[in-house]
Amino acid sequence: MPNLGVPRPRYRSFRLANRLTVVLAPAPESPTASVWVWYRVGSKNERPGITGASHWVEHMLFQGSPRYGKGEIDRAVVSVGGTLNAFTDTDFTAYYTTVPREHLAIPLDIESDRMTRALITDPEVERERTVIHSEREGNENWPEFRVEEELYQLAFRVHPYRWDALGRREDIERMTPAELREYYRRFYGTRNAVLIVAGAFEAGATEAEVRRRFSPLPETGESVAVAEREPAPRGERRAELSGPGTTPYLQVGWRAPAIADPETPATMLLDALLGGETRLFAAGAMWGRSPEHPSARLYRALVDPGLAVRATSDWRPRQHPGLFTIQAQAARGVGLDRLETALDDVVGRLARHGPTSAELREARTKVRRGVALAYEGASRTGFRLGFFSALRSIQSEDSLFRALLRTSAAEVRERARALFRDESRIVVRYEPTAEAADE
Amino acid sequence: MSEVRDPLQVEFGAELEGLRLVRQAPPAGSASFSATYVGPAGWGRDPSGREGLARLTCHLMACATRRLDRVALARFLDHAGGTLSHEASPESAELTVWGPESSREELIGLLADVVLRPRFAPDDLARIRRQLHERQLRERTQPASRAERELLASIYPRGHPYRETGLGTPRSVARIDADDLRRFHRDQYTSGDAILVVTTSAPLPIVERQARRLFAEFERAAPPSIGPIPAPGGRPGERIVPLPGRSQVEVRIGGASIGRGDPAYPAAFLANEILGGRPLLSRLFQRVRERGGLAYHASSSLEAMRLGGYWVAQAGTGSDRWRKVVPMVAEEIDRLRARPPPPGLLRTIRESAIGELPLGLETTAEAHDLAVDVAYHGLPGDYWKRWPAALRAVSGPDVARAAEVALDRRRAVTVVVGPVEGR
Repeated sequence: MPNLGVPRPRYRSFRLANRLTVVLAPAPESPTASVWVWYRVGSKNERPGITGASHWVEHMLFQGSPRYGKGEIDRAVVSVGGTLNAFTDTDFTAYYTTVPREHLAIPLDIESDRMTRALITDPEVERERTVIHSEREGNENWPEFRVEEELYQLAFRVHPYRWDALGRREDIERMTPAELREYYRRFYGTRNAVLIVAGAFEAGATEAEVRRRFSPLPETGESVAVAEREPAPRGERRAELSGPGTTPYLQVGWRAPAIADPETPATMLLDALLGGETRLFAAGAMWGRSPEHPSARLYRALVDPGLAVRATSDWRPRQHPGLFTIQAQAARGVGLDRLETALDDVVGRLARHGPTSAELREARTKVRRGVALAYEGASRTGFRLGFFSALRSIQSEDSLFRALLRTSAAEVRERARALFRDESRIVVRYEPTAEAADE
Repeated sequence: MSEVRDPLQVEFGAELEGLRLVRQAPPAGSASFSATYVGPAGWGRDPSGREGLARLTCHLMACATRRLDRVALARFLDHAGGTLSHEASPESAELTVWGPESSREELIGLLADVVLRPRFAPDDLARIRRQLHERQLRERTQPASRAERELLASIYPRGHPYRETGLGTPRSVARIDADDLRRFHRDQYTSGDAILVVTTSAPLPIVERQARRLFAEFERAAPPSIGPIPAPGGRPGERIVPLPGRSQVEVRIGGASIGRGDPAYPAAFLANEILGGRPLLSRLFQRVRERGGLAYHASSSLEAMRLGGYWVAQAGTGSDRWRKVVPMVAEEIDRLRARPPPPGLLRTIRESAIGELPLGLETTAEAHDLAVDVAYHGLPGDYWKRWPAALRAVSGPDVARAAEVALDRRRAVTVVVGPVEGR
């Protein structure tokens, strides 16, 4: 029987008595071992006043725990040649450490120490406040960040997807160390975590080590479910921004399904048809997107004729309904009205006629071929197993993959009609100030 | 048939009419391959008045070939499950294919097509010109890229290949036509001094046969010389560029440095790692971010190339904090030159740099970068195997001496760009 799933390394998954989910993916020939902890905690679990708490906790988890003083986590990993970092999104926060294969014990020790016992001290929180300010300021230097932040604020009035994972400026200013500690105590624990170990190790010995280190941890972590439901939009929402920049820039968004929704495969194919690829199923990409897809509809309609210098779409897999977006950067001398009209025309045609059979065949080929090497290396394996475990399940990757390959042109057309409705459209336009004029 | 399976050992193959062949084994268990053409066509060879030509040529080559227009080329890659990327620098240009080992023949065939038979279609030229124009604007209006540009322009005199960032100006790019592209391609891409680096599980003789057949049109000829290179002559000092309306200030301190072939390179490498190159452990990161809480990023880099190099210490900070950050960064640079690093620090940084080698062998794409580095700089095939010993031979006084030459703040320029008051 042919293998109809994603080509994935062998793994074993189990749950400890404290409800920590563990996934082991041994690859004996790997030169490295990679340890990932995915917490199903992200900006969706924040509220106004403490927006950015998940991201701030992410920073604090490098600042010390009972066995590791300040700076010692970094030193323990980097001094043996390893690398470590973390990232925060709406639905999760992921911490990863990749080390030469003989040093696997180091990240296991760190993660077991900081999962429930991170030291979030007042002086360290205060010192980190300016670092986080600085991180946000660096992002604010980019018009694309400002536009996207505005787009989500317009799109969501109730749901916590309304704010960026970095948090609002005023909340970064005023959040107290006690609030951060309380946030950490409530949500960071074994119930909300997935531990992935990938790379070179002996499965039996590593399972024993994982049990020894993590089983004594208490069963903690309050529910991370989100109660808020965003009401259906009843009309288009718009905003105009201006500031330093190059040429006019535009983002348009529409309410899109969550990862577990049956409409997801057709939505992902819309992304492939319009923007040229889908996140998670593209050759060579772990999570990001390639900027140039000359065969994609948006590129052919906006970039080829000289209306835009870049144009692409994006749908990010999320636990709750998010946004399907299109971004376009105007070419010199092209105004936003013209660009927006052309963009509307592209999505309108797709909604009216759907994809051609050749287009759909190409999109499926892209998905099938693109995923062939997705699990190359211990770090990528850790990312991918963790991502699907945290958002749904590892097996859901296979069902999504199979659904992508069997979705029909008619289903894609119906999805386009349901998605690209004027009354659910959100538009943010950015006009650069005069300084960008030619030399 | 001999077959080297150690990805740290690079094999040198035959020279095929001016195209040198280099092969490296992929990491164990990898099912992918990668191949890079590296040639001398960097923007240091841009003709006067046609600045931007090298970048434009390299980008256009990756767009379409005589056989495949841009849409057909994109579909070809989708079917092969591969990628094609392009990158230009002051002194070289690279075109790289990556994909499943099972698609090696067709993807190296595509690379040969791209290198030997680019299309240079007028509509592609118009499109890339528009994109380049937007990048020029971005370089002027974004604090980080503006700071980099201002720094290089302050370090290097006109005519030096490292002075520019290769984007040209609206006027110079508008002047470039199809004849310029064809001439530049003919002179710089298909004539000598080029390297084909292939990371594959296929043995060298098979790769050689494949390359000989696919690159048969390659002609042996010396590329035009780059011309006399003026010495770096920047005047030390501080340059403040106000860009109002931004949130973050970008700080750069840097100057000319040594090239990759300099015997002091291992010591200079460690000096830079101690200063700001080694993530999380470096002095800049520790002092500016971890102890000072003044910036999100604080680091340094040493760009050691064939013709020379430059170093940069950098930080991104707030408009109310940059005046604290600049002297802090300057002190750390001076400290490195004034005193050898403590033995414990040197040992930690050195063992970290040695220990990270396995991380560079996780995927074929990462391992391939090591082979391209060896091939381009003409290093021995076992360079990365000898690298740990080279680093362990460096003493604390060696680091201080290397810093004196390679990270010398007395000849450095300070650039501050962002929401600041001008001077």
